[in-house]
Amino acid sequence: MRPKLIALMLCALPLFPSRADMSPGGGGTVAAVVPSIDLAQITRGRGVYQRFCVSCHGERGDGRGISAEWLNPKPRDFTRGIFKFRSTPSNSLPTTEDLLRTLRRGLHHTNMPSWEVIGERNLKAVVEYIKTFSPRWNTEAPGTPIPIPPATPDGDAARARGKELYATLGCFNCHGTSGHGDGPAAAELKDDWGERIAPFDFTNGARLKNGDLPEDIYRTFMTGLTGSPMPSYADALKPEDGWALVHYLRALQRGETK
Amino acid sequence: MNTQLVRVSTGITFAAVLLAAGSAHAIPAFARKTGMSCSACHEAWPRLNEFGQQFRDNGYRLRHGRDAPPEQPSAYWPIAFRTTVGYQWLRQTLQQTDSGTATTQTGTFGFTGLDIHSAGTLADRVSYFITYTPALRSAGFTLSPNEGDLESAWAGLHELLGTTWLNLRVGKHALDLPEDEHRSITLTQGYNEYHFHPAGSAATFEPGNNQVGIEVFGHDDLSRLRYSFSFVNANGAPLSNNLVSSPALWGHVQGTRHFDNDILPAVKVGAFGALGWHPVATQQLTAGGVATPVVGSASSEAQFRRLGGEVHLYLLSNIYPLTLTGVVTYGSDDQALIQGGTSDASFFAGWGELSYTPTVNVVLIGRYERIGSKTQGVANNPRDLGNLTVFTGGVRYTLEMSNRTEVALHGELSSASRVVDASGNLPNALTGLMAIDFVF
Repeated sequence: MRPKLIALMLCALPLFPSRADMSPGGGGTVAAVVPSIDLAQITRGRGVYQRFCVSCHGERGDGRGISAEWLNPKPRDFTRGIFKFRSTPSNSLPTTEDLLRTLRRGLHHTNMPSWEVIGERNLKAVVEYIKTFSPRWNTEAPGTPIPIPPATPDGDAARARGKELYATLGCFNCHGTSGHGDGPAAAELKDDWGERIAPFDFTNGARLKNGDLPEDIYRTFMTGLTGSPMPSYADALKPEDGWALVHYLRALQRGETK
Repeated sequence: MNTQLVRVSTGITFAAVLLAAGSAHAIPAFARKTGMSCSACHEAWPRLNEFGQQFRDNGYRLRHGRDAPPEQPSAYWPIAFRTTVGYQWLRQTLQQTDSGTATTQTGTFGFTGLDIHSAGTLADRVSYFITYTPALRSAGFTLSPNEGDLESAWAGLHELLGTTWLNLRVGKHALDLPEDEHRSITLTQGYNEYHFHPAGSAATFEPGNNQVGIEVFGHDDLSRLRYSFSFVNANGAPLSNNLVSSPALWGHVQGTRHFDNDILPAVKVGAFGALGWHPVATQQLTAGGVATPVVGSASSEAQFRRLGGEVHLYLLSNIYPLTLTGVVTYGSDDQALIQGGTSDASFFAGWGELSYTPTVNVVLIGRYERIGSKTQGVANNPRDLGNLTVFTGGVRYTLEMSNRTEVALHGELSSASRVVDASGNLPNALTGLMAIDFVF
């Protein structure tokens, strides 16, 4: 390893206590669930974070950067280890790939752009650095991704089933009976940080934050968006019903429903 | 009567060519709009990094659904100001006086002038950029323009036919250069080859100056492969009797490749060139004994050409890089463009630059630039007439780089020597600058 890199890492050591040090209870089982820390990776990630992320997410990763006051929605607070956009079950930690997906794609209609241009090495590094902000990463392993089975065929029957599920699962309470995001509960919704949050309007042509592909939509209501009022329906939906709901929602997006 | 056009001014000023040449671009209004710090787009302000280049190529859009003006708070106003205040010392050798040559020096507290920028989006896929540089005759460094100038004024149309490979920019715009002079880290010297002409040439086209015309450009999603072609009226075009006066075509292609290692994480290479025509004869109108060229009557267009290549090595990191850049250019002007010309005039120009950005706040830079004549246009000219050698070194420390403003302390020293006459004299200009550079 190059001397310069070693020096950098040594300088950075006080800034990056090990995850075991940061865990609330001493973290006796940490080694069993958390991969060892790559200090060089985290040092690199800190540099990436300082250049690109700090003005929104803050020096401490608490979502209180100097721009946060003016942003809507607010930047993610990494210190609580709560992440909306995952492939893993509700309330679990996301996988590294989940975080990379958010970095690569950005989040539509927020101030989070795609960072793919800075290169995969830097994206991976900043993901590791982001994990240092919350002690959850010391004590828990990421959840197991919920599988996404092959899509069932779209068609009138599938959409009708999706529409039925939309009603029986209570989606209309937030998203409205016509998908306009104007359900009876919409006005009162807040996220776990107490910020007002609007349900998605499927009819105005907007793109979904968690991705527009059919599998993105499927994943969203199977995993839920932890930290927001959007729950997981993984226990309530069979895979074919999940796809029926996807087909109905995409029809809503395209204005193909009556 | 046709008359050989008189060349107006093609020499390279020894000191402070960049600030004399044009404004420098850095737009905190973008930071205010996006919420990001300046460091997100600038490797070292005002030089763009890959994210900033992508943002610019996309028409000042993040392409996340919030780029159009209606998405912005009504209080948002896309205006930015920039100036540089400080002290500049200039020593020049072999300056002509009535009692022979002398070494002169000046030390001046002052400022460089003022850039007023407005830039952003007019609609989701329509961008614009306006730069106004007002006349400020009292500017201490005597570098501000004598007249107010609309240095940039263009509108951009993006993703024509739904692809990032086809975009248009119409109006007075900066040509796509290997290293953007408007975003040069150095302040006392820019990139002289962008302004160089062979000795005696009448051609006025300088790729370092913003040009009026149309640019067709495109890029892949990450702006790692990009092209730009500008079709413009070359500087000082109005005399030409053409459908497009003094036409010039500038082209530039660039490609960036990332590598999965810590030694050389990224390399950018490119090629560029220009082909243009400049009139060498014009009709004149004499009134009161004064002959004036008639606009639109000039003819006998003669050609000039530029061709070059570039390599940028991003060492250690592409986020905090040690960047080694090399650019070489070959240029030639038709002998008809040279007053008393006996052959085409040609030259080689090149520069090598090493810059290091260890943190978001610090950048160190050193540059060596050399321009040498290959063929003089006039047989009796000394072989090295016009040759230029420039060293520039500097350090820049950013005091504040937020989502609102940028303030940097800037120290720089440059040395420029140019062969100016047949005597072989090599006047040297040594320039030092200590300044506070700020933009809001």
